[in-house]
Amino acid sequence: MRVWLLLASLVFSLNCAAQFRLPNIDLNKALDTVKNVGKAVKEIDEPEEIAIGRDVASRLLGAAPLVPNPGLQRYVNNVGRWLAAQTERPDLPWQFGVLEHGNVNAFATPGGTIFITRGLLEKMRNEAELAGVLGHEIVHVLKKHHLKAIQKGAQTALAGEGLSSALKDRAGPARDKLIALGTEMYTRGLDKSDELEADRLGVVIAARAGYDAYGLPSVLQTLQAMNAQDSALALMFKTHPAPGERLDTLGQKMQGILDTYSAQPQLGERFLKQAQRR
Amino acid sequence: MKRFLGLLLLLPALALAEPASVIKATELKKEPASDADIVANLPENAPVEALERKGGWTRVKAAGGEGWVRMLSLRYGAAAAAKPGASGVTQLFNAARTGTSGTQVTTGVRGLDAEQIVNAQPNPNELAKLQSFAAERAAAESFAAQGKLAATPVDYPK
Repeated sequence: MRVWLLLASLVFSLNCAAQFRLPNIDLNKALDTVKNVGKAVKEIDEPEEIAIGRDVASRLLGAAPLVPNPGLQRYVNNVGRWLAAQTERPDLPWQFGVLEHGNVNAFATPGGTIFITRGLLEKMRNEAELAGVLGHEIVHVLKKHHLKAIQKGAQTALAGEGLSSALKDRAGPARDKLIALGTEMYTRGLDKSDELEADRLGVVIAARAGYDAYGLPSVLQTLQAMNAQDSALALMFKTHPAPGERLDTLGQKMQGILDTYSAQPQLGERFLKQAQRR
Repeated sequence: MKRFLGLLLLLPALALAEPASVIKATELKKEPASDADIVANLPENAPVEALERKGGWTRVKAAGGEGWVRMLSLRYGAAAAAKPGASGVTQLFNAARTGTSGTQVTTGVRGLDAEQIVNAQPNPNELAKLQSFAAERAAAESFAAQGKLAATPVDYPK
């Protein structure tokens, strides 16, 4: 009886398989691809995340090098590292760089590499403002905003198999494509909700680190006061919600935290001193 | 230069009166605090001149008098056309970089516009430099202590 049942089910499943063997579709291969996509998504572990982020960072440095001022670079690293220590990913290999460019912008790449342009730094008045901007960028790393966007883009552009070989072979052509795609993302921007989340949580991180929580809103207000037609703002405005809208959202959701931590230090003097140290 | 810096530090955050307006009907307060006396009631879009910021408050000059409004209720007039170098420490940077004026050295094809980012090639030398500037966590902690920054627990908003 049992044997008959087994045989019957075997025949049944063979029939099913036969039915699925439609012209031009190799079901097994299709299933493999689906599996690879699923695997690839899960397989971007922390070391991979860091490696992708560094490759993207290297390209961004190809677009604009670092400001040749070691004192300034170390200063920004100290501020950033202190902020990062207050987060749920305190031990990533965090590194921060000031890019030699007059445009106003900042970038976070996966795994803890963060850039701010000289143009944006010049608009700031104190360390709390710098902390607010770095806090915003740190949230992009914590929440893997860019990594998720890269993954999503890669699945469409490279398909599942391309993505797994891009992860496996760091010198291969698929890898190049993945990093090019990851770099290009900085010209298109993230979802608006990611940016607004980075604003809210960035304010919290600056407050945790002991800074005046109004640093980020102050910078946003400076940007809001600038002429939107200024070409130095073009890419930043294209890839972010308007400063006025970001200020509105912070006002609605963060007024309490902002006010509770508004009397913490701003460190204007240290900022100005470091900003021109050689 | 030192004296110049010292002078700069005495300036309020907003060095000059900047034209702005309030985004909603707002009480103009005598002091930068929500329980302070009301100087006047400003209607939505009332024009003001922003003078200085203190915590979450900005001192403004309005038709109804001078006082404080919530910093987040202010939007600056877009009419305030681009004033390159007018805010922040631009002038210091410029002086530090070139010694005299803000003339910028052209960097050829490099840049941070969309097209230049898309076409950027890897720059491993700069990446190595970047890594050499990274701060150890312990060093960052003593840096924070020097600035009298104290870590404090703050929950993320829901």
